[in-house]
Amino acid sequence: MFRFPLFILVTLIVAFGGGIMITLYALDATQGFGAIKLGAWEAFPALQTVDADPYAKSHRARAGKLLYGSAEGLTFTASVDDEGARLNAGCRYRISGQTPPARLWTLFTADNGGNPAAMKPGLPSALNSWTVLRQPDSSFSIEISAGAQPGNWLALPQAGTFRLVLTLFDTPTAGSSGVIDLAMPKLTKTGCGNA
Amino acid sequence: MLRIFFAVLTGLFGAALLHLIIILSLPHFTGKDAATRIEAEGDLNNFYLLTDAYDDAGLANGDPFVRTAVCSFDVEDAPVHFTAKGKVPFWSIAIYDSASNEVFSMNDRTSVGGALDVLAGGSIQLTDLRKNLPQELQQTILVEMARPDGYAVLRTLAPQTSFDESARNFLSEAGCEQFTTR
Repeated sequence: MFRFPLFILVTLIVAFGGGIMITLYALDATQGFGAIKLGAWEAFPALQTVDADPYAKSHRARAGKLLYGSAEGLTFTASVDDEGARLNAGCRYRISGQTPPARLWTLFTADNGGNPAAMKPGLPSALNSWTVLRQPDSSFSIEISAGAQPGNWLALPQAGTFRLVLTLFDTPTAGSSGVIDLAMPKLTKTGCGNA
Repeated sequence: MLRIFFAVLTGLFGAALLHLIIILSLPHFTGKDAATRIEAEGDLNNFYLLTDAYDDAGLANGDPFVRTAVCSFDVEDAPVHFTAKGKVPFWSIAIYDSASNEVFSMNDRTSVGGALDVLAGGSIQLTDLRKNLPQELQQTILVEMARPDGYAVLRTLAPQTSFDESARNFLSEAGCEQFTTR
Protein backbone atom coordinates (compact mmCIF):
# COMPACT_ATOMS: atom_id res chain seq x y z
CA MET A 1 0.00 0.00 0.00
CA PHE A 2 3.04 2.26 0.23
CA ARG A 3 3.90 2.03 -3.44
CA PHE A 4 2.20 5.23 -4.54
CA PRO A 5 4.08 7.51 -2.07
CA LEU A 6 7.25 5.68 -3.15
CA PHE A 7 6.69 6.68 -6.77
CA ILE A 8 6.15 10.29 -5.78
CA LEU A 9 9.34 10.17 -3.71
CA VAL A 10 11.29 8.78 -6.68
CA THR A 11 9.91 11.53 -8.91
CA LEU A 12 10.84 14.27 -6.44
CA ILE A 13 14.34 12.90 -5.81
CA VAL A 14 15.04 12.64 -9.54
CA ALA A 15 13.62 16.09 -10.20
CA PHE A 16 15.36 18.04 -7.45
CA GLY A 17 18.56 15.99 -7.13
CA GLY A 18 19.02 15.67 -10.87
CA GLY A 19 18.01 19.24 -11.60
CA ILE A 20 20.39 20.78 -9.09
CA MET A 21 23.25 18.47 -10.01
CA ILE A 22 23.11 19.00 -13.76
CA THR A 23 22.85 22.76 -13.18
CA LEU A 24 25.96 22.83 -10.98
CA TYR A 25 27.76 20.59 -13.46
CA ALA A 26 26.78 22.78 -16.41
CA LEU A 27 27.92 25.96 -14.64
CA ASP A 28 31.28 24.50 -13.66
CA ALA A 29 31.97 22.76 -16.94
CA THR A 30 31.59 25.67 -19.30
CA GLN A 31 31.36 29.43 -19.45
CA GLY A 32 28.52 29.16 -21.92
CA PHE A 33 28.24 28.82 -25.67
CA GLY A 34 29.80 31.42 -27.94
CA ALA A 35 33.37 30.20 -27.40
CA ILE A 36 35.95 30.61 -30.11
CA LYS A 37 38.52 27.85 -30.16
CA LEU A 38 41.89 28.33 -31.83
CA GLY A 39 43.94 25.18 -31.33
CA ALA A 40 44.19 24.70 -27.59
CA TRP A 41 43.12 28.29 -26.84
CA GLU A 42 39.58 29.20 -25.96
CA ALA A 43 38.03 32.66 -25.59
CA PHE A 44 34.57 34.08 -24.91
CA PRO A 45 34.42 37.47 -26.66
CA ALA A 46 30.75 38.10 -25.84
CA LEU A 47 30.81 36.93 -22.21
CA GLN A 48 30.59 40.45 -20.73
CA THR A 49 27.90 41.74 -23.09
CA VAL A 50 24.13 41.77 -22.91
CA ASP A 51 24.12 39.30 -25.81
CA ALA A 52 25.69 36.55 -23.70
CA ASP A 53 23.57 33.41 -23.49
CA PRO A 54 21.77 32.49 -20.22
CA TYR A 55 24.45 29.96 -19.28
CA ALA A 56 27.17 32.56 -19.70
CA LYS A 57 25.21 35.08 -17.65
CA SER A 58 24.69 32.57 -14.84
CA HIS A 59 28.32 31.58 -14.93
CA ARG A 60 29.62 35.14 -14.74
CA ALA A 61 27.13 36.06 -12.00
CA ARG A 62 28.38 33.13 -9.95
CA ALA A 63 32.10 33.61 -10.64
CA GLY A 64 31.95 37.38 -10.07
CA LYS A 65 35.06 38.08 -12.13
CA LEU A 66 35.90 41.48 -13.53
CA LEU A 67 35.67 40.79 -17.25
CA TYR A 68 37.47 42.69 -19.96
CA GLY A 69 35.40 45.03 -22.07
CA SER A 70 35.63 44.65 -25.82
CA ALA A 71 37.96 47.65 -26.19
CA GLU A 72 40.16 46.47 -23.33
CA GLY A 73 41.26 42.99 -24.23
CA LEU A 74 40.41 39.38 -24.87
CA THR A 75 41.44 36.48 -22.63
CA PHE A 76 42.37 33.13 -24.10
CA THR A 77 42.60 30.13 -21.79
CA ALA A 78 44.24 26.80 -22.56
CA SER A 79 43.58 23.81 -20.32
CA VAL A 80 44.71 21.22 -22.88
CA ASP A 81 47.65 21.03 -25.28
CA ASP A 82 47.33 20.89 -29.06
CA GLU A 83 46.78 17.11 -28.92
CA GLY A 84 43.88 17.61 -26.50
CA ALA A 85 45.62 16.16 -23.42
CA ARG A 86 45.03 17.99 -20.12
CA LEU A 87 47.92 20.26 -19.10
CA ASN A 88 49.77 18.60 -16.22
CA ALA A 89 52.54 20.00 -14.02
CA GLY A 90 54.44 16.73 -14.43
CA CYS A 91 55.04 17.44 -18.13
CA ARG A 92 57.00 19.98 -20.15
CA TYR A 93 55.41 22.20 -22.79
CA ARG A 94 56.49 24.69 -25.41
CA ILE A 95 54.53 27.68 -26.71
CA SER A 96 55.84 28.87 -30.06
CA GLY A 97 54.73 31.21 -32.80
CA GLN A 98 52.98 34.58 -32.81
CA THR A 99 49.95 36.05 -31.13
CA PRO A 100 47.21 37.80 -33.12
CA PRO A 101 47.84 41.55 -33.43
CA ALA A 102 47.61 43.29 -30.06
CA ARG A 103 49.31 46.26 -28.42
CA LEU A 104 50.39 44.17 -25.44
CA TRP A 105 49.85 40.65 -24.22
CA THR A 106 50.39 38.84 -20.95
CA LEU A 107 50.76 35.12 -20.33
CA PHE A 108 50.65 33.41 -16.94
CA THR A 109 50.27 29.96 -15.47
CA ALA A 110 46.98 29.66 -13.63
CA ASP A 111 45.27 27.19 -11.36
CA ASN A 112 42.11 25.42 -12.48
CA GLY A 113 40.01 28.41 -11.45
CA GLY A 114 41.90 30.74 -13.80
CA ASN A 115 43.68 32.64 -11.00
CA PRO A 116 47.46 33.03 -11.01
CA ALA A 117 48.95 29.78 -9.71
CA ALA A 118 50.58 29.69 -6.29
CA MET A 119 54.30 29.51 -6.97
CA LYS A 120 57.47 29.43 -4.91
CA PRO A 121 58.63 33.03 -4.57
CA GLY A 122 61.20 34.03 -7.16
CA LEU A 123 60.10 31.62 -9.86
CA PRO A 124 58.79 33.20 -13.06
CA SER A 125 55.08 32.51 -13.46
CA ALA A 126 54.22 35.24 -15.95
CA LEU A 127 55.56 36.84 -19.11
CA ASN A 128 54.40 39.70 -21.28
CA SER A 129 55.12 41.05 -24.73
CA TRP A 130 57.69 43.50 -23.36
CA THR A 131 59.75 40.97 -21.41
CA VAL A 132 59.61 37.96 -23.77
CA LEU A 133 62.77 37.19 -25.74
CA ARG A 134 62.09 36.99 -29.48
CA GLN A 135 63.59 35.42 -32.60
CA PRO A 136 64.78 37.75 -35.39
CA ASP A 137 61.37 37.35 -37.09
CA SER A 138 59.67 38.51 -33.84
CA SER A 139 58.18 35.10 -33.12
CA PHE A 140 58.86 33.60 -29.72
CA SER A 141 59.24 30.25 -28.03
CA ILE A 142 58.44 29.77 -24.35
CA GLU A 143 59.41 26.68 -22.36
CA ILE A 144 56.96 25.71 -19.62
CA SER A 145 58.34 23.19 -17.17
CA ALA A 146 59.04 22.58 -13.52
CA GLY A 147 62.81 22.61 -14.11
CA ALA A 148 64.57 25.82 -15.15
CA GLN A 149 65.22 26.34 -18.88
CA PRO A 150 67.34 28.85 -20.81
CA GLY A 151 65.54 31.53 -22.81
CA ASN A 152 61.88 32.17 -22.05
CA TRP A 153 60.80 30.00 -19.13
CA LEU A 154 57.58 29.77 -17.17
CA ALA A 155 57.68 27.74 -13.95
CA LEU A 156 54.94 25.30 -13.05
CA PRO A 157 53.08 24.62 -9.81
CA GLN A 158 54.23 21.67 -7.68
CA ALA A 159 51.81 19.10 -9.05
CA GLY A 160 48.41 18.65 -10.60
CA THR A 161 46.69 20.17 -13.58
CA PHE A 162 46.98 23.81 -14.54
CA ARG A 163 45.86 26.30 -17.16
CA LEU A 164 47.57 28.90 -19.27
CA VAL A 165 45.98 32.32 -19.65
CA LEU A 166 46.95 34.58 -22.54
CA THR A 167 45.37 38.03 -22.55
CA LEU A 168 45.58 40.28 -25.60
CA PHE A 169 45.18 43.96 -24.73
CA ASP A 170 43.77 46.47 -27.22
CA THR A 171 43.31 43.90 -29.92
CA PRO A 172 41.13 44.25 -33.02
CA THR A 173 40.20 40.60 -32.59
CA ALA A 174 38.04 41.27 -29.54
CA GLY A 175 35.39 43.15 -31.43
CA SER A 176 34.94 40.87 -34.40
CA SER A 177 34.49 37.26 -35.29
CA GLY A 178 37.49 37.62 -37.62
CA VAL A 179 39.51 36.02 -34.85
CA ILE A 180 38.67 32.64 -36.38
CA ASP A 181 41.16 33.23 -39.18
CA LEU A 182 43.96 34.24 -36.86
CA ALA A 183 46.76 32.01 -35.71
CA MET A 184 47.45 31.54 -32.02
CA PRO A 185 50.81 30.23 -30.79
CA LYS A 186 51.20 26.46 -30.81
CA LEU A 187 51.15 24.65 -27.47
CA THR A 188 53.00 21.35 -27.72
CA LYS A 189 54.03 18.80 -25.12
CA THR A 190 57.75 18.13 -25.23
CA GLY A 191 57.89 15.34 -22.67
CA CYS A 192 56.78 14.06 -19.30
CA GLY A 193 58.59 13.07 -16.13
CA ASN A 194 62.30 12.53 -16.54
CA ALA A 195 62.03 11.22 -20.08
CA MET B 1 7.73 -1.85 -13.26
CA LEU B 2 6.19 0.42 -15.83
CA ARG B 3 5.05 2.71 -13.06
CA ILE B 4 8.58 3.22 -11.72
CA PHE B 5 9.66 4.07 -15.26
CA PHE B 6 6.96 6.72 -15.49
CA ALA B 7 7.94 8.05 -12.06
CA VAL B 8 11.56 8.47 -13.21
CA LEU B 9 10.46 10.00 -16.50
CA THR B 10 8.30 12.58 -14.70
CA GLY B 11 11.25 13.26 -12.43
CA LEU B 12 13.49 13.89 -15.44
CA PHE B 13 11.02 16.40 -16.86
CA GLY B 14 10.96 18.10 -13.48
CA ALA B 15 14.76 18.13 -13.41
CA ALA B 16 14.92 19.77 -16.84
CA LEU B 17 12.39 22.39 -15.80
CA LEU B 18 14.25 23.09 -12.55
CA HIS B 19 17.51 23.37 -14.49
CA LEU B 20 16.02 26.03 -16.78
CA ILE B 21 14.54 27.93 -13.85
CA ILE B 22 17.84 27.95 -11.96
CA ILE B 23 19.89 29.00 -15.00
CA LEU B 24 17.53 31.83 -15.92
CA SER B 25 17.04 33.17 -12.41
CA LEU B 26 20.54 32.69 -10.99
CA PRO B 27 21.95 36.04 -12.23
CA HIS B 28 19.32 37.88 -10.17
CA PHE B 29 20.16 36.48 -6.77
CA THR B 30 23.66 35.00 -6.58
CA GLY B 31 24.96 37.83 -4.41
CA LYS B 32 28.40 36.93 -5.74
CA ASP B 33 28.32 38.83 -9.03
CA ALA B 34 30.83 41.53 -9.87
CA ALA B 35 28.42 44.45 -9.21
CA THR B 36 27.66 43.22 -5.68
CA ARG B 37 31.32 42.61 -4.92
CA ILE B 38 32.29 46.10 -6.05
CA GLU B 39 29.50 47.63 -3.97
CA ALA B 40 30.92 45.74 -0.99
CA GLU B 41 34.28 47.51 -1.48
CA GLY B 42 32.97 50.67 0.13
CA ASP B 43 31.29 53.99 -0.67
CA LEU B 44 29.98 54.97 -4.06
CA ASN B 45 31.94 57.34 -6.31
CA ASN B 46 35.38 56.28 -5.24
CA PHE B 47 37.96 54.20 -7.09
CA TYR B 48 39.22 51.32 -4.93
CA LEU B 49 42.57 49.78 -5.87
CA LEU B 50 42.67 46.00 -5.95
CA THR B 51 45.61 43.84 -4.97
CA ASP B 52 46.98 40.55 -6.30
CA ALA B 53 45.36 38.65 -3.42
CA TYR B 54 41.59 38.42 -3.04
CA ASP B 55 40.24 41.09 -0.70
CA ASP B 56 37.25 40.78 1.65
CA ALA B 57 34.84 41.56 -1.16
CA GLY B 58 36.31 38.74 -3.28
CA LEU B 59 38.03 40.84 -5.91
CA ALA B 60 41.62 40.72 -7.16
CA ASN B 61 43.71 41.97 -10.06
CA GLY B 62 43.52 38.55 -11.68
CA ASP B 63 46.59 39.03 -13.87
CA PRO B 64 50.12 39.54 -12.53
CA PHE B 65 50.73 42.55 -14.79
CA VAL B 66 47.33 44.23 -14.53
CA ARG B 67 46.56 46.87 -11.91
CA THR B 68 42.84 47.44 -11.38
CA ALA B 69 40.65 50.02 -9.66
CA VAL B 70 36.88 49.67 -9.34
CA CYS B 71 34.17 52.22 -8.60
CA SER B 72 30.45 51.71 -8.23
CA PHE B 73 28.20 54.65 -8.98
CA ASP B 74 24.61 55.75 -9.33
CA VAL B 75 23.55 58.38 -11.87
CA GLU B 76 20.07 58.80 -10.41
CA ASP B 77 20.78 62.31 -9.09
CA ALA B 78 23.70 63.50 -11.17
CA PRO B 79 26.01 62.17 -13.90
CA VAL B 80 29.35 60.67 -12.94
CA HIS B 81 32.60 62.04 -14.33
CA PHE B 82 35.54 59.64 -14.73
CA THR B 83 38.92 61.28 -14.95
CA ALA B 84 42.51 60.08 -14.85
CA LYS B 85 45.79 61.03 -16.37
CA GLY B 86 49.35 59.92 -16.04
CA LYS B 87 52.23 58.29 -17.82
CA VAL B 88 51.33 54.62 -18.11
CA PRO B 89 51.97 52.32 -21.08
CA PHE B 90 48.31 51.34 -21.33
CA TRP B 91 45.04 52.05 -19.63
CA SER B 92 41.48 50.99 -20.29
CA ILE B 93 38.12 51.60 -18.70
CA ALA B 94 34.93 49.57 -18.93
CA ILE B 95 31.56 50.74 -17.64
CA TYR B 96 29.01 48.08 -16.73
CA ASP B 97 25.41 48.27 -15.60
CA SER B 98 24.22 46.60 -12.40
CA ALA B 99 23.56 43.34 -14.28
CA SER B 100 27.28 43.29 -15.27
CA ASN B 101 26.54 43.94 -18.93
CA GLU B 102 29.08 46.08 -20.73
CA VAL B 103 27.79 49.57 -21.50
CA PHE B 104 30.98 51.19 -22.74
CA SER B 105 34.67 50.46 -22.93
CA MET B 106 37.66 52.30 -24.27
CA ASN B 107 41.43 52.44 -23.99
CA ASP B 108 44.06 55.15 -24.14
CA ARG B 109 44.42 54.98 -27.93
CA THR B 110 40.84 56.11 -28.40
CA SER B 111 41.06 58.88 -25.81
CA VAL B 112 41.61 62.59 -26.35
CA GLY B 113 45.23 63.40 -25.63
CA GLY B 114 45.80 60.21 -23.64
CA ALA B 115 43.75 61.29 -20.62
CA LEU B 116 40.63 59.60 -19.32
CA ASP B 117 37.65 61.95 -19.56
CA VAL B 118 34.30 60.15 -19.65
CA LEU B 119 30.92 61.20 -18.31
CA ALA B 120 28.17 58.66 -17.69
CA GLY B 121 24.61 59.75 -17.14
CA GLY B 122 20.97 59.08 -17.84
CA SER B 123 19.52 60.11 -21.20
CA ILE B 124 17.64 63.14 -19.78
CA GLN B 125 20.73 64.37 -17.93
CA LEU B 126 22.84 64.05 -21.07
CA THR B 127 20.27 65.86 -23.22
CA ASP B 128 20.25 68.72 -20.71
CA LEU B 129 24.03 68.85 -20.74
CA ARG B 130 24.29 68.78 -24.54
CA LYS B 131 21.91 71.73 -24.87
CA ASN B 132 24.38 73.93 -23.03
CA LEU B 133 27.67 72.06 -22.90
CA PRO B 134 29.92 73.41 -20.13
CA GLN B 135 33.44 74.43 -21.15
CA GLU B 136 35.09 71.60 -19.18
CA LEU B 137 33.05 68.97 -21.01
CA GLN B 138 33.92 70.10 -24.55
CA GLN B 139 36.15 67.08 -25.14
CA THR B 140 34.45 64.65 -22.79
CA ILE B 141 33.01 61.39 -24.04
CA LEU B 142 29.37 61.16 -22.98
CA VAL B 143 28.02 57.71 -22.18
CA GLU B 144 24.33 57.03 -21.78
CA MET B 145 23.28 54.65 -19.01
CA ALA B 146 19.98 52.85 -19.57
CA ARG B 147 19.82 51.96 -15.88
CA PRO B 148 21.03 54.38 -13.19
CA ASP B 149 23.38 52.16 -11.20
CA GLY B 150 26.50 50.48 -12.44
CA TYR B 151 30.20 50.14 -11.93
CA ALA B 152 33.40 51.10 -13.68
CA VAL B 153 36.63 49.13 -13.92
CA LEU B 154 39.80 51.07 -14.66
CA ARG B 155 42.86 49.05 -15.58
CA THR B 156 46.44 49.80 -16.34
CA LEU B 157 49.42 47.59 -17.02
CA ALA B 158 52.78 47.32 -15.29
CA PRO B 159 54.77 45.13 -17.70
CA GLN B 160 57.87 45.57 -15.53
CA THR B 161 58.26 46.29 -11.83
CA SER B 162 59.50 49.81 -12.55
CA PHE B 163 56.03 50.72 -13.85
CA ASP B 164 54.37 49.80 -10.55
CA GLU B 165 54.62 53.25 -9.03
CA SER B 166 53.24 55.16 -12.01
CA ALA B 167 50.45 52.60 -12.33
CA ARG B 168 49.53 53.06 -8.67
CA ASN B 169 49.65 56.84 -8.99
CA PHE B 170 47.48 56.73 -12.11
CA LEU B 171 44.83 54.62 -10.38
CA SER B 172 44.86 56.35 -7.00
CA GLU B 173 44.49 59.79 -8.60
CA ALA B 174 41.65 58.66 -10.86
CA GLY B 175 38.33 60.36 -10.20
CA CYS B 176 34.82 58.90 -10.18
CA GLU B 177 32.90 61.95 -8.99
CA GLN B 178 29.36 63.18 -9.38
CA PHE B 179 29.27 65.98 -11.90
CA THR B 180 27.42 69.12 -10.90
CA THR B 181 27.09 72.23 -13.02
CA ARG B 182 27.68 75.45 -11.22
